Amino acid sequence: MASVELRQVRKAYGALPVIHGVSLAIEDGEFVALVGPSGCGKSTLLRMIAGLEEITDGEIIIDNAVVNELTPRERNIAMVFQSYALYPHMTVAENMGFNLRLSGTPKPVIAERVAEAARMLDLMPLLDRKPAQLSGGQRQRVAMGRAIVRNPAVFLFDEPLSNLDAKLRVQMRAEIKQLHQKVGTTSIYVTHDQIEAMTLADRIVVLNQGKVEQEGTPMELYKKPANLFVAAFIGSPAMNLLDGTVDGDGGEPSARLGDGTAIRIAPDRKVKRGQAIKVGLRPEHLSPGVGGTALAGQTLLVEPTGAQTHIIFDLAGHPVVAIVDGEYPARYGARFEANIPAEQVHVFDRETGVAL
Amino acid sequence: MTEISTAQPIDAASAPTSGQRIRAGTQVYMYVSLIIVAAIVVVPLISTALGGFKTLGELRGNPFGLPTEWQWSNYTDIIISKRYWLQMSNSLIIALLTVFLTLTFGAMAAFCFAHIRFFGANHLVNYFLIGLMFPAATAILPLYIRIRDLGLIDTYWGVVLPQVAFGMGMSIMLFRNYFRNLPSELFDAAFVDGCGYMRFFWHITLPLSRPIIATVGIISFVGSWNSYIVPLIMLNSESRYPWPLGIMIYRGEFSTEWQLVLAFITLTILPTIIAFFLAQKHIIAGLTAGAVKS
Repeated sequence: MASVELRQVRKAYGALPVIHGVSLAIEDGEFVALVGPSGCGKSTLLRMIAGLEEITDGEIIIDNAVVNELTPRERNIAMVFQSYALYPHMTVAENMGFNLRLSGTPKPVIAERVAEAARMLDLMPLLDRKPAQLSGGQRQRVAMGRAIVRNPAVFLFDEPLSNLDAKLRVQMRAEIKQLHQKVGTTSIYVTHDQIEAMTLADRIVVLNQGKVEQEGTPMELYKKPANLFVAAFIGSPAMNLLDGTVDGDGGEPSARLGDGTAIRIAPDRKVKRGQAIKVGLRPEHLSPGVGGTALAGQTLLVEPTGAQTHIIFDLAGHPVVAIVDGEYPARYGARFEANIPAEQVHVFDRETGVAL
Repeated sequence: MTEISTAQPIDAASAPTSGQRIRAGTQVYMYVSLIIVAAIVVVPLISTALGGFKTLGELRGNPFGLPTEWQWSNYTDIIISKRYWLQMSNSLIIALLTVFLTLTFGAMAAFCFAHIRFFGANHLVNYFLIGLMFPAATAILPLYIRIRDLGLIDTYWGVVLPQVAFGMGMSIMLFRNYFRNLPSELFDAAFVDGCGYMRFFWHITLPLSRPIIATVGIISFVGSWNSYIVPLIMLNSESRYPWPLGIMIYRGEFSTEWQLVLAFITLTILPTIIAFFLAQKHIIAGLTAGAVKS
C-alpha cells in the first residue's frame, strides 16, 4: 500500500491544455473517486498516474517517490480497464498470472497467488476458460483478479463498470467495495456515474475541464457543494436550480423568484440584498407537510418509481422535481405543495457560480 | 367456404416477410453469379487436370470432356522422376525462406509503424507502400547487378531476397492495418503488466495475429511459388530451378506432348491449392480484419 500525491500536474496535447495544474493528496489505503462529465480529463489523469500517458508538467509521487520517469511496471500499480482488456488467447489463470510470469516469479508461486485471488473473487471454477467463454461480470472479476495477484501499491480503476448492465453494475459495485475492505489497497476510481462514486469512495474529487472543482467526502459534496457545477453534478435526480434575487433584511434573508415567490434562506449565507443568485433545491428536500417555505405549483409530470414518486411541478415558470413517498396521491394537473426548510436551500452567486 | 373455415390460421412469425422474400431473391442472384465466376476459374483448372489423363489425340479431339481411358502413367511417370522432386524441393526452399523472411521483417516493421511514433514514420510507410506499385520485372536489371555484386547469382538467396523485398510493401500494409485494429487497451494492460514493446509483440500481438500471419504467409508463398522472372534471371543451373522454370524446360522437351505438360502443370499447382484450402479460414479473416466493428 502507498500514498499518492499529485503536485501541479499538467497535460497538454500540443498547444491544447487538458489538465490545468491538478494537485491532490491521496492517503495510504484511501479509496478516492475521480468524477466528472465526459472529456473532463479524469481518465487522462488516471493514465498519467499509471504511467500510460506522459505528463507535461508537475510531479506524481507514489509511496514518497517521484515516479514521473518510471514505467507503469516500476510504479507498482495495477489497473482495471473499462473494456476489461483481458488477453483473449490466454486462459483466466494465464491472464491473472501474466504479470508475475513476466517478472520471473517461479511457477508454483504464480499458481498459488492466482488460486488465492481466484478464491477471493469466486473464480476457481473458471480458471481454465478463455475470456470469450465468460460473461461480462466474470470478465470484470478476472480483470480485478489480475490486479490483485501482483499485490500492487495502488489500484487504478478506469470506469470498470460502464460496460455492464444496471443490475450487474450494482452487484459488482458491492464486490469492489468488499474487495477494498478486504485488501485495503489505495484505490483511485474513475467514473462519470456520481452514484458509483458516492457509494464506493471515501473521498470524491470532482473534475471539470481539467480542473478540480471540489474534493471531499461524499456527504460534504452533497451537503455543501462549492459551486453550481458540483451542485448540479452530485445528487440524483439533480438539484433544481432557479434564478432569483436576494430580498429581505440581513437577519431573515430570502430569495425572490421571477414570479415573486419568496424562499427563506439560512441567515448564515453570505448574501447581499439585491444580489443576483441561483437558488438550489434538492428534490428530496421538497416534501409536503414539513416546516419551512411552502412552494406550490401545478403538477406537470408524475413518475412513480415504487418506494418514491418523482413529481415535476411548475414553480415560477420552471419545472421543479420533488421526491415524495410512493404512496403520495400525486395526479397530473393537480396543485402540488411542498415545503423546504431554510437550511436546505442552497444559494450560489449567479455570475461566478460560487456557493454563498 | 369449408376450405376457408378449416384452413390453419397463418402464423405471423412463420409467414414470409417482404424482407425475407428480398433475401431469397438476392440469394438466388448471388448463387448464380458465384457459380458463373467459379466456373470461369475452375473450368481451366479442371480441364488442365483432366487433360493430363488423356492421350494427345484425345486431348485434341475432346479438350474439355472426361478421358475415355485414364492415362495414369502421364502423372506417375512425372511423380517418380528425379527432376520433379528436385524442382519441388527447390521451389519449397525458395518459397519457405521467402515466407519466413517476409513474415519476420514485415511483422516487425509493421508493428513499429502501428505502435511507435517517430519522426518520418509516415513517409517511411509510404516509401514501403510505393513498392506495391512496381513488379519485380520493372527493376530486373538493377536487381541483377545488385545480386551479382553480392555474389548471390545462381543461389537460392539471389531469388529469395528480391522476392522478400518486393513482398514487403504488401506485407507491411496488411500487418500494419491488422495491428492498428487490435484494442489499444490490450497494449495498456500489457504495459501495466510489465511488457515492453518486444514482449508485447511476442506475447500479445503475434498470438492474436494468426489470421493475418496465415494471409501474408500464403500470399507470399503463392507469389514465390509462381515467380518466374526473378528465378529466370538469377539462376543459371538447372539443378536449382524451381517449378515455373521446370515447366518451361519440360515444355521445351515435350513440346508436342501437351498431355504430359498439362499433367506436369497440374502437379505443380496442387501444393498451393492444398495450402490455400488449409489456411482458407484464416486468409479470409485476415483480409477482412478491421472492416467492421467487432
